[in-house]
Amino acid sequence: MIRRLALRVWNFLASLQVTIVALVLLMALVVLCTLAQAELGTLGAVNTYMRSMLVWRRLQGVPFPLPLFPGGALVGLVLVFNLTAALVKRFEFNPRKLGLWVVHAGLILLVAGEFVTGAFQVDTRMTIEEGQTVNFLESYHQMELGITDATDPARREEYGIPDALLRAGATVAVPGTPLTFKVKRYYVNAQLAPMVQGDPPSLANMGVGAGVRITEAPPAASDKEVNATSVFVEPVAGGISYGTWLVSAVLGAPQSFIHAGRTYQLSVRPRRTYLPYTVTLRKFSHDNYPGTDIPKNFSSLVHLSNPARGEQRDVLIYMNQPLRYDGKAFYQASYGKGDTLSVLQVVGNPGWLLPYVSCMLITLGLLAHFGITLYNAIKRRQLSGEAA
Amino acid sequence: MKLSKLFTWLPGLLALAAVLATALPPGPVRGFDMEKFGRTPVLEGGRIKPLDSVARNALLMIRSKQSVPFEGRELGPDEWILDVLFRPQTADAQPLFVINDPDVLGLLGLKQGASRYFSFDAIAPHLQEIEQQARAAQALESPQRNRFQNAVVNLFERLLLFNQLENSIQLADSPGLYMELQALGTPQAAARHKSLAEAARFRPLPPLPGQGAEAWQNTGEAMLGAGAPHPALTALALVGAGYKAGQPEAFNRGVAELRGLTGTVRPQALRHASSEILFNRVQPFYLGMVIYVLALLTLFASWLWRRDLLQPAAFSLLAAGALVHSIGLLSRILLQGRPPVTNLYSSAVFVGWAAVILGVILERMYRKGFGTAVAAAAGFGSLIIAHHLAMEGDTMEMMRAVLDSNFWLATHVVTVTVGYSGTFLAGIIAIAYTLRKHIAPEDPATTRTLVDMTYGIICFALFFSFVGTVLGGIWADQSWGRFWGWDPKENGALLIVLWNAVILHARWGDYIREKGLMACAIFGNIITSLSWFGVNMLGIGLHSYGFMDKAFWALAWFVISQLLLIALCLAPRRFWATED
Repeated sequence: MIRRLALRVWNFLASLQVTIVALVLLMALVVLCTLAQAELGTLGAVNTYMRSMLVWRRLQGVPFPLPLFPGGALVGLVLVFNLTAALVKRFEFNPRKLGLWVVHAGLILLVAGEFVTGAFQVDTRMTIEEGQTVNFLESYHQMELGITDATDPARREEYGIPDALLRAGATVAVPGTPLTFKVKRYYVNAQLAPMVQGDPPSLANMGVGAGVRITEAPPAASDKEVNATSVFVEPVAGGISYGTWLVSAVLGAPQSFIHAGRTYQLSVRPRRTYLPYTVTLRKFSHDNYPGTDIPKNFSSLVHLSNPARGEQRDVLIYMNQPLRYDGKAFYQASYGKGDTLSVLQVVGNPGWLLPYVSCMLITLGLLAHFGITLYNAIKRRQLSGEAA
Repeated sequence: MKLSKLFTWLPGLLALAAVLATALPPGPVRGFDMEKFGRTPVLEGGRIKPLDSVARNALLMIRSKQSVPFEGRELGPDEWILDVLFRPQTADAQPLFVINDPDVLGLLGLKQGASRYFSFDAIAPHLQEIEQQARAAQALESPQRNRFQNAVVNLFERLLLFNQLENSIQLADSPGLYMELQALGTPQAAARHKSLAEAARFRPLPPLPGQGAEAWQNTGEAMLGAGAPHPALTALALVGAGYKAGQPEAFNRGVAELRGLTGTVRPQALRHASSEILFNRVQPFYLGMVIYVLALLTLFASWLWRRDLLQPAAFSLLAAGALVHSIGLLSRILLQGRPPVTNLYSSAVFVGWAAVILGVILERMYRKGFGTAVAAAAGFGSLIIAHHLAMEGDTMEMMRAVLDSNFWLATHVVTVTVGYSGTFLAGIIAIAYTLRKHIAPEDPATTRTLVDMTYGIICFALFFSFVGTVLGGIWADQSWGRFWGWDPKENGALLIVLWNAVILHARWGDYIREKGLMACAIFGNIITSLSWFGVNMLGIGLHSYGFMDKAFWALAWFVISQLLLIALCLAPRRFWATED
């Protein structure tokens, strides 16, 4: 009885019906995800529809969100499971089916690659001005409270508190320094304006923040907007409080205080990851087609310096020609400041080779399968032609 | 060779002869050798092209046609551009601006009458109002504008273009280039030449020896420069004075001088311009479209009368159309130095071409006339779409840096476009099946053939759309650092792959048979059209380089028509006929 039930479930899971339903669901998700991009931005739409197990929606009159549709991750898992089950169940060695097996193995690899990307891909950027040397990457979405020990301008020491730790009421010690920060209030996004008469006093009693009115704003939705992340913090060192400061991504000049003869600057900036090597921008070049503002090319000539490996070399990064180094790929992404500043997109994805391999498999498999089918069809036609 | 065999090839040969006839250069108009003037190479939009191309593209943008009726004659692009450059008062009186939007007409105090075309003179009193409305509308992103706002922005842009053209060689109110050259050095002249240098649309003066290949100048820039004036300026002055005064000999002498000079310093530019003007004059895609219609009509006739004669005749026309289409495609590749698909326009040309070639192969395999029918329909349909897309401007525009890669354009774009062709072709065969089912007498053998064809084409389309999509992913990984970004255009391509996969799996699992397969193939038309054009209407993402809003309704009607055809496909055979 249980055996028969299990067999029926197994047969169902391995069936073509499941494949077709899952493919149609995937099509629906792709359409929804595309349409939602105008409202949620690419990343928001992809997270809602493709990289989720279920698509949640708030309905009017229902106080909690409801799962209304299977998400892309769930459909992907079902497809992979269905495919694996079908491969196990129907596998027979037949040279005529060989193409199909290869295609489907490649497909599993392709979906696996998208899961690896979703889970492990890290998108960062590196912004360099001509002549500048940089040894860190910046996050696109995460921020940090940056603390710079600027006592010796020639040797600045950088520390950062990730935004995940900046919650109101938290106390965070900064390793390597005597400093501890008490977080008073944290805004993912905010609007800042000069204080006018009648505004309540600011939480800040030090720095420019004392004269700034701050209001909470919803987090940036589209890909073009940037969050004005802001935080009220009270630095404490050696039992001395240095007052409450408003630090924000949109406040220009860094604010600083002095403790035990050392100058500390505070800023909110994109979260940094430090590299064991440095990149120097030697020259950024950019041409338009003559008489137009259509860009013809961009390129960055950079110098890569990795003392630990004894590497010193120049690299030209340009469109469609990234630098692959240290498990990361550096792409020419943008530029600014009258062509003296270059923005490189830096992507680390341990699964970047998977799609290449799977594509080779699928292409070869499809060629083999359709080739065999076509050959048989032509042969059949010839035979029936001779018979007639 | 049998006479009947010759007869069947005659229509195709006649069509080719007619195409060849259009390649002959036209004679002088009123004694002016305008064709030669149209060959003058200029730099516009970042590339060297004949002045004729500038004129044609501008006329298409302003008037949606390549000619202007004036004083009882049709002015071609070369004659029109001469009026614009040297007789602006005459050009201002010509019925140039096509205006369809009733609200814009209302704004201008004009009535929708017999003509939809208005002269600059008729619009001029309202220029300020148009500019105000357009500037206000331009503050909004394109998708947020309403119909009136889009129309007024569009009119404003066309007026700007016209104004730039009128101020390209000399300012519109200038007494002529001779006077300007004599006035060189005076402060008033310098001010005039400065505004000329800024307004000019194109650069007709080739780089002199010792200058870089891109150092083309407009007349304003040349007159502002220090040192001896550019030698081509006097030739241009002679052309302008001769044309304005109605003296063909002086005009022709000026044109010859200008050509001689350009030929010495930039011979390749002159050669390129001559090749491109030939392409412009023949209009291979337009002629191909006409020949495809003839093939289709001949084939329809063959179902009523003398099938043995007319069906091969239709095929000969199709072959002639395919040849003209292919030559046009090849010319574009050679002129541009790029793979066949570089923008939305060329994708339409190429989708049609690939479908036609597939149709020709199918016809040779099955010889039932259906290959001819679907190929001619696909060729005609795609070329008419291309014809409308050409209104957006130069179809050989330069490629943005990110797209500037012949390798990926040749592999990813071409493969994915062939995938589109295949999906459309399967859909068209399915439509033919649907119509046949309700009109023609039952014929199981033919039905079987159509089903086989559709199935085979779907396999073909799946292969190409998949490989094309994946190559796109690899390109994206090379240039942006991600294999797949769920960008709208990528999603569109993915939808086509998924849909073809759904059809094939449903067929293998026997969930759909003949009728279901055909209905699904027609639905493929909807998916392909949406991912091809619909994505451009969303205006988001990295691929939205071909935005357009006029096509929205055309697309909506297309989708509705396909849904009706699906219903018709699923309906019982001859359901409309009364049962006896």
